[in-house]
Amino acid sequence: MSEPMDLRDMVIEVLMEAKRDGLPVMVMLSDSASTSKIAPFAARYPESVVNVGIAEQNMVGMAAGIALTGSIAVTANAAPFLLHRSYEQVKLDVCYNNTNVKMLSINAGFAYGQLGNTHHAVDDIATIRSCDHVQIFAPADAPEAREVMRHALRHVGPVYIRMDNIKVELIHEDSYRFTPGAIDIVRQGKDVLICSLGTLLPAAVQAGKALAAQGMDPTVANFSSIRPLDRNALRMLLDSHSHVVVVEEHSMHGGLTALIYEVVVSERLDAMVASCALPEGRPTLAGTRGDLRAHYGLDATGVVRKVMEMLS
Amino acid sequence: MEQIRITSNPYELDFNGIRAKARRIRVTALRMTTRSKLGHVGTDLSEIDILSSLYFSILRYQRGDIDHPDRDYFILSKGHGAGGYYATLCEAGFFPRAYLDTYMEFDSHLPGHPTRAKTPGVEFSTGALGHGLSVAAGIALACKRNGRSNQVFVLTGDGELQEGSNWEAAMAISAFGLTNLYWIIDRNSLQLGGGTESIMPIDPLEDKLRAFGFTVSHMDGNNPAQIVEALSKARQAGDNRPQALIAHTVKGSGVSFMENICAWHHKIPSAEECALAMGELDSDMTVGGSE
Repeated sequence: MSEPMDLRDMVIEVLMEAKRDGLPVMVMLSDSASTSKIAPFAARYPESVVNVGIAEQNMVGMAAGIALTGSIAVTANAAPFLLHRSYEQVKLDVCYNNTNVKMLSINAGFAYGQLGNTHHAVDDIATIRSCDHVQIFAPADAPEAREVMRHALRHVGPVYIRMDNIKVELIHEDSYRFTPGAIDIVRQGKDVLICSLGTLLPAAVQAGKALAAQGMDPTVANFSSIRPLDRNALRMLLDSHSHVVVVEEHSMHGGLTALIYEVVVSERLDAMVASCALPEGRPTLAGTRGDLRAHYGLDATGVVRKVMEMLS
Repeated sequence: MEQIRITSNPYELDFNGIRAKARRIRVTALRMTTRSKLGHVGTDLSEIDILSSLYFSILRYQRGDIDHPDRDYFILSKGHGAGGYYATLCEAGFFPRAYLDTYMEFDSHLPGHPTRAKTPGVEFSTGALGHGLSVAAGIALACKRNGRSNQVFVLTGDGELQEGSNWEAAMAISAFGLTNLYWIIDRNSLQLGGGTESIMPIDPLEDKLRAFGFTVSHMDGNNPAQIVEALSKARQAGDNRPQALIAHTVKGSGVSFMENICAWHHKIPSAEECALAMGELDSDMTVGGSE
């Protein structure tokens, strides 16, 4: 098994690779050079980096303008200050105008757990799903982040990528190929379906192993492609499992859980769905990411507990 | 086929020619608004001399090849001035006159605010205020870094400058030395609810712009001779500060009973008022129809 890797390192490598391939990439920062780990790219391509300072609205607006000239604008800053500070720029300048802007939403979820609620980004999927045209991805590990970024740079149109800042255990082999819209089945089973968003995938895999050890045959599905999404594949997946549990470092509202509920209701499926998503009315809780994940049941133990609750 | 380089405006009209175009554009905008019973006619009349000067003298573009890579860019940040903008684009030949009859209608080529997916010549969809300056800055920066000679013209309102995003953009335009960007401010001193200075003062505007690093010039924004002169001078300035041009305008300019009356921000002229306005504009065109 390879060593855990930071997704950002892989994404920066893809940006360098794109430059070598002659793609007209411009990276936009909002005093987020360290957040994005852009240094190697900036050293090699200083003319392709634009740091606007702590001004996210202007970062996104300028990115749209840059894209209008034929360049590929890539914004790279901290998730809690991307969508909500500059929502109207994202909604209008990027999504409504359908400009070729790629948004790297770095350190999403509880990545900044100890820094408090102002720094938690657990509502980003809900926000970006309300926008048109934009593709939405949440890579689970470094090989997938590489593939997602390669796709994003070649897709013409807005892309939102939910990113992390920790070294994440590698679930995918180096040879992994990402298909936009596909649900990535990491373990194929037949009774319990575990649906995972982003870097919670190792926890979902671990939960799958624990359930298997107890005689169950769980499926572990990685939802790295939120939009596009093969709804027919999702319908069949939900229909072929009796119990479904969703694990996402995101609010109950508007994220993966909500997406699955939408399909269950619209397709009139019988699946029993439980979720480890963050409940409404969260206390003002800060702590390490591990502690926050444990508190909300966003780990293998929490997923197994949720399945047991459903079965009892 | 190889594209020819664009080096000039396709019309290059003199001041009298621009004035005549502006009069026709006013007539069109008034008729569109009267017909559709929707629009921001005071804003349209405020900006029309600026737009006419840009499209018939200043902007370098090519008719029939509107996406030409050498073209100058124009962004209408005050998107509610759509009527004046559409009337100008039509007069400059960007789309057929028949479109004018569909202003604000269902799925029209000419919706209530500029929509680039709908209207030939519209570079960017606007409507919410405080967006255009950043977008223009992005275009200017990309052109500058890529060694392209395009120039970027952006028209903001004055009330619009109450949006903080403009000042983020202003900081960046100055810091990045975007001397290929020309920021024109339609300073008619009125906004939806009243005078800008009574709602939230913009002044001292020149001091603010200078403090942000701009070279500031003033012009009568309803006088094409002054507009063209100020823009030409700004283009030739050759200093390393970006250019901001305060265009002192009259909201409702050209129609006496609309001038400086806040209600005409989005009041709709009756057929009688439209006829009266046509009389003032010395036009015998009747209301309705594209010709």
